[in-house]
Amino acid sequence: MRLVARGLARLVPVLAAISVIVFLIVHAIPGDPAVIAAGLEASPDTVARIRQELGLDRPLHVQFVSFVTRAVQGDLGVSIRTGVPVAREIAERLPHTAALAFGGVLLAVVLGLSAGTWAAVTRRRWVDRAVMAVTLVAVSTPSYWLALMLMLVFSLHLALLPSIGVGTPAHYVLPVTALGLQSAGLIARMTRASLLDTLDQEYVRAARARGASRARLIARHALRNALLPVTSLVGLRIGGLLAGTVLVESVFAIPGVGRMMVDAVIARDFPMVQGGVLVVATLYVVVNALTDVASALADPRVRA
Amino acid sequence: MDRRLTTGLAALLALLPLACSAPPSGDGGEFRDQLIFSAPADATTLDPHNTTDTESDQVTMMVFETLIGFDDQMQIVPRLAEQWSVAEDGVTWTFRLRRGITFHDGAPFDAEAVRANFARVLDPVARHKRLPLFSMIDRVDVVDAHTVKIVTRFPFGAFEPTMAHVSAAIVSPTVAARAGMDFGKTAEATSGTGPYRVVSWKKDQEIVLERFDGYWGEKGRTRRIIYRPIPEAAARVLALEAGDVDVISRIPSNDITRLETLPSIRVSKTPSVGAQQFRFNLTKKPFTDRRVRQAISYAINRRAIVDNLVGAFARPATGALTSIMRGYANLGEIPYDPERARRLLAEAGYPNGFKTRIATTPRYPMGVELAEAVAADLRNVGIDAAIDVYDWGTMVGFWQGLPPEKNPQEIFIMGAGASTADADWGLRPIFQTAPTNENNYGYYSNAEFDRVIEAAMRETDADRRQALYRRAQEIVYLEDPGAIWLYENLYIVASRAAVSGLRASPLGVVTFQRAVVSR
Repeated sequence: MRLVARGLARLVPVLAAISVIVFLIVHAIPGDPAVIAAGLEASPDTVARIRQELGLDRPLHVQFVSFVTRAVQGDLGVSIRTGVPVAREIAERLPHTAALAFGGVLLAVVLGLSAGTWAAVTRRRWVDRAVMAVTLVAVSTPSYWLALMLMLVFSLHLALLPSIGVGTPAHYVLPVTALGLQSAGLIARMTRASLLDTLDQEYVRAARARGASRARLIARHALRNALLPVTSLVGLRIGGLLAGTVLVESVFAIPGVGRMMVDAVIARDFPMVQGGVLVVATLYVVVNALTDVASALADPRVRA
Repeated sequence: MDRRLTTGLAALLALLPLACSAPPSGDGGEFRDQLIFSAPADATTLDPHNTTDTESDQVTMMVFETLIGFDDQMQIVPRLAEQWSVAEDGVTWTFRLRRGITFHDGAPFDAEAVRANFARVLDPVARHKRLPLFSMIDRVDVVDAHTVKIVTRFPFGAFEPTMAHVSAAIVSPTVAARAGMDFGKTAEATSGTGPYRVVSWKKDQEIVLERFDGYWGEKGRTRRIIYRPIPEAAARVLALEAGDVDVISRIPSNDITRLETLPSIRVSKTPSVGAQQFRFNLTKKPFTDRRVRQAISYAINRRAIVDNLVGAFARPATGALTSIMRGYANLGEIPYDPERARRLLAEAGYPNGFKTRIATTPRYPMGVELAEAVAADLRNVGIDAAIDVYDWGTMVGFWQGLPPEKNPQEIFIMGAGASTADADWGLRPIFQTAPTNENNYGYYSNAEFDRVIEAAMRETDADRRQALYRRAQEIVYLEDPGAIWLYENLYIVASRAAVSGLRASPLGVVTFQRAVVSR
């Protein structure tokens, strides 16, 4: 419990730092949101009006203070491009990103753990070699390319799965695979290495000497300890997975937060970029706090 | 597969003569009851008075209507107005409106609705994005319930094409009054008189349009048109091939050629209002000298560029406007003549060329490759051009909101596309001397051009107007070049072979009213 509280307490300074950084970055990059919003055929009058409406003509520190005071009240402002409140735009898209990221993590963990364990405990060398080769390919395949290849094979040639969009669980199979496969490869390799290490430890040999069955040996004794580094890896990978949603959402036309943020950056839609980053950062911190708790449950030393 | 296709086609062919006169037949039977269209981006808003992007226009075109419109050949045809005329004074336009038309929300369409709409788009406080297009309107008077009079500040030669522009659409005054600035931001706050009404809008996912059964004209043949944005070009093409979508636009050039060879796909190419060019920043030396700009113009091998880079979707420019535009004059392709270019450079005092920079953005198809091709041609005549690549937002920032002396760009890429398909909007805002102009990003200024373009704008006689625009184009295309004129774009749409009845407009939008998808 204390751990959860500690994790969440970390949220405040992290979000404060992030909002300052994001605010500075979006205002530092060249390009004027009012100009882009107005469109090429618009007149300077229109641009000036939009700039004033958005408060972009005010000094930077004034804009920042107003952004922060409104943000702490849950008001993320209004999208420059669409004129719709940012909170509403994000709320509409967050479930898609959450489903995608959750699916990606689940796939990475389940596939990674089983493949890694299998490779470590098998007595057949070729299984080990094959698993390692496959995971190496998975780790080194860019998700963008993988996404298109999956579409090409499973949607176009085999016609098994829908290529783009959302709606049914089947729509998520390819995006989740494209998103999670790289992490699955990493987790598999980490699990295998860590498990092999553990299996060499004295206490495992002692347990074996006591006559523990092979399955029990691996499940109760070795795997539990071997999982510690894997858990931290999963925590780290979640950041990568969230970043990966940006690409995967664009390719599979999933209406999520990542794709929204790409559009927002292109249009210099400041409120949308700031809101999006804040929400994703919050997610990341919360999930990391949760993984910390998970490792604590697994390891008494961290719990202290 | 093949046999199914042939049977489908045969069935379709057998049906065609019937279908032309038959009432809507998109439900059940031979045809599917929905059609899915994919473009790169979602609409930003469905308020036609407040959009400047094609994606939004694509949807609003089906939902709203104008008093007069364009047909497929860009000729002016009646829409919500059944008849119209201009008085002797050249400024008073009288529109007789069609009777018995209702908006999707049930409100009646009448003269008062028209008045309210122009008051809306011209509202100086709301300042909708399309206000500048209509700034020549002085007032709109209701004559009787079905007649309006629109008075312009001066005789305006491009009045009809401007009134046919999608942003002259008449939106439901009832819904507009209720929604205020939120009009067009959700399905509920969108209502027009068009053949399709908006039933739902899930951001970035889909806009569902359904046939409006109370439509006054030829009703849509397919019950639902679904607009589904797919940002990634490769995925858009794959989705079409996989049959997950029926029609796509904005296709990468190498895919166009490949799709053309597939029996299951049809590719249509329509001459469009879009053109690609590079502009000069005329506040910078040596571009102030017209001989330098002429030299650059002759140094470019347009044929090679079109043949090797963009042949799938372009053809060489033959004037300052594209060939389907009102007011276009065919001045021929500019010849590739590096010898003449070197001579002109020497005359201008640059026998050994000079150094310059070309700014481009990948937002335009082949944007970077085009800059490289131009730079190579310039090197051939001694001009050393470095290339800067920017993202769209940065690029636009250079053009708008910066005073001329602060714009660091010297030669920069620019897409042109007058959304009224008329010479006035295609030349005046872009090349007329500041400050009357507002989109003259190259700070072009030529006294004769200004005079001619101003006269042409006020000229309502078609022949005299055409002669004036011809002169204006001779100046800006040949004598005192305002740009490196490269090519005009073809509007490319790919569809599954099962789709028929699509109409692609030179404005870069597809009309779906007659489209059907056979099963």
